[in-house]
Amino acid sequence: MNNPIELEDLRVEFPARRGHPPMVALERVTLTVQQGTIYGFLGPNGAGKTTTIHTLLGFMAPTAGRVSILGGDASQPAIRQRIGYLSEHPELYPYLTGHELLINMGQLFGVGRTELERRAAALLARVGLASAAQRRLATYSRGMLQRIGLAQALINDPDLLILDEPTSGLDPLGRMDFRKIILGLRTAGKSIFFSSHELSEVERVCDHVAILAAGRIVAADKVEALMAPGESLEQFFLRMVMPQEVQP
Amino acid sequence: MIRLWVLARMVWLDLFRRKDPYVLLMVLGALLAALLSFDIFGLGNLVRYLKDVGLLLTWLLAWVLAVQLAARQLPQEERRHTIFSLIAKPITRADLVLGKWLGAWLAAAAGTALLYAATWLVVLLRGGNFELVTLMQVLLLHLCFLAFVTALSIALTTILTQSAAMTMAYLLTGAGYFLAARLPVMATGAAPAKTNVLLVLYYALPHLELFDLRQRLVHDWGPIPAGVLLGILGYGALWTAGLLLLAWLAYRRTRFTRGEMT
Repeated sequence: MNNPIELEDLRVEFPARRGHPPMVALERVTLTVQQGTIYGFLGPNGAGKTTTIHTLLGFMAPTAGRVSILGGDASQPAIRQRIGYLSEHPELYPYLTGHELLINMGQLFGVGRTELERRAAALLARVGLASAAQRRLATYSRGMLQRIGLAQALINDPDLLILDEPTSGLDPLGRMDFRKIILGLRTAGKSIFFSSHELSEVERVCDHVAILAAGRIVAADKVEALMAPGESLEQFFLRMVMPQEVQP
Repeated sequence: MIRLWVLARMVWLDLFRRKDPYVLLMVLGALLAALLSFDIFGLGNLVRYLKDVGLLLTWLLAWVLAVQLAARQLPQEERRHTIFSLIAKPITRADLVLGKWLGAWLAAAAGTALLYAATWLVVLLRGGNFELVTLMQVLLLHLCFLAFVTALSIALTTILTQSAAMTMAYLLTGAGYFLAARLPVMATGAAPAKTNVLLVLYYALPHLELFDLRQRLVHDWGPIPAGVLLGILGYGALWTAGLLLLAWLAYRRTRFTRGEMT
């Protein structure tokens, strides 16, 4: 069986724009996400995490290299049918209520209305938004948007979940809920790929981690294999991404 | 097909929740007030003038409404970044273009139908009436015109910014309405090179004047033959389909970025 995500020597270059030279966003990015695992994708701001995710999802074309997602490429609707995606700072429709968002997004996956109502109610309860289901998203807090964003990413019962900074904006309770949800999904055999700045969160839930710095993978392995004895993921991360002379 | 309806319904929900219908109601109020106070040179009681002015205003308002509605659909998704959530779903770019067009067209059509109803009401209040079959033909061709305008506006937003697309949509529809039919007259007696250019333009531009049967309604000339009506509808459908095809061709390879690497 194919791995849910395979990137091989991925290169993404943004073309030159007026006054700006071409910029290499990703260079020789290679990683593999195995079935039924949680993969943490770390990197400082501007490292290229979102660019990698956007390339994976086919929002932009790679300049070179191979992208395989669920054995195909994300330009095929049949592949996207099996993917759940939460964008960074969930960019959702402010005029819809939480319930309407789930129904509309679910219908885009071709899920029937009765099944959708059942899934929507279950997901709203799961992300702790049952009481806010009839409120418009414009009135939601950042954390609530993150929660409803996660719910819409799960509405199609995806085989692969791709989450861009899913815990940003969540309070400790929200993070705990998030942890429970994705650990539950892993138990159910789903694969999860998520980018994050929350290193403690990543250390707690991820099986594998890759660290991206300036568009290149500087470390990728099982979490416990990466760190030296007694070292935290945060210490390891800083060691990888910061120049020697400025390390604390 | 269900995906198209979902996308179209989201266009409608957006319009209603943004309270756009209030704008339409204000426009309707202004139209009614203007028509009821219409009394230039003491001709206020002449229903024919009322019909003429009412239908002219209806055409102008529907034109503006259609361009404004359609031209904001795709750029708005990109501006809000909701495009990312949308294109991550199993919909094709063709679904996206068609769904947006369908939503914008139906919304413009509903608004236009209300404007016709308002004009009809004023005509009735002034003791006149519209001939029903002709009115239906006028409305049907007007909706076909709106299908063209919304498709053109959406197609233009796939290659231009929203404001540039709106300007171009007004210019092209204006040229198609006012200029296309007059080109052969302009070509008469012109230098051969100029004649050729004008004739190319004559065949290249859409003949939007064909969709305007207002004068038949104003002067009670009666309906046009069914065959002619079907021919014009087919012509409009072909143009609309062609524009939607162009929109899809331009949009299918569009790659989206946030503008900065994160």
